[in-house]
Amino acid sequence: MVVPTPEPSDEQLAARAAAGDDSAFEAIVRRYQGRVFRLACRLTTDTDAPDVLQDTFLQVYKHLASFRGDSQFRTWLYRIASNAALMHRRARARRPAEPLDVFLPRFDTNGRHVATPTELQVASRADELLDRKVLAAKARDVVSRLPDLYRDAFVLRDLEELSTEDVAQTLGVAPATVRQRVHRARLMLRGYLSDLVGVKP
Amino acid sequence: MNEIACMSGVELLMDYLEGVVPEDVRAGLDAHVAGCPRCAAFVASYLATPRILRDATAATLPADVEASLRAFLRARTTAFRSRH
Repeated sequence: MVVPTPEPSDEQLAARAAAGDDSAFEAIVRRYQGRVFRLACRLTTDTDAPDVLQDTFLQVYKHLASFRGDSQFRTWLYRIASNAALMHRRARARRPAEPLDVFLPRFDTNGRHVATPTELQVASRADELLDRKVLAAKARDVVSRLPDLYRDAFVLRDLEELSTEDVAQTLGVAPATVRQRVHRARLMLRGYLSDLVGVKP
Repeated sequence: MNEIACMSGVELLMDYLEGVVPEDVRAGLDAHVAGCPRCAAFVASYLATPRILRDATAATLPADVEASLRAFLRARTTAFRSRH
């Protein structure tokens, strides 16, 4: 009878890799390469993502000895990847950012929504109403227009689906700060999707 | 408790969804949204936004990028090891 060997945890692999086991490092790369690449695309551009991917795993390799088992390996890896992405963003000349504040919800003087329920709802159908390729290009573009702090928090929390606690640990900020940044990003992006289908947010 | 307006409800939405608002505020928000079609519609689109952008930005690792990563790491980790 073949007893299946349980998959080693990230932390076990990291410990073995730190002790010089190259196959353990390769296993880490295989386990996370897809996720790191996807994250890199979301935090930089398709052009920069392959370099961010390489930088991330090289940094992981070089610093394995300093990884301490008291934090989660995944959080540590995402922190390295987010920093690598930030370096690449900084190296690019930034085009003047058009603020996304215009997409925030509008309220009257009594604090009531200005838009009608139908108008307010329409963003949730953006994926049905728009061509897939168009939406993909626009989505990539608008995420890149988010201010850096909002972008990192939103990408990790909502696109990579880390918990708020894990995002806080990854970015080294308080959970309340993560919630505030993600919320602000969601408001702007929601309005943007609405605008994309031709309805004022 | 004061009646919640749409604007203050929107401000609290993330905290509400993450379960970090006090119970009385939560009850006030529930009551407001139940009676406000605009906020109900807003919440629906707020919740849909992450999912739509997640699906629209999901990239997969191309085979050539994976091959380059392997070659890069083979060369650079060997170089790093020989120096340490």
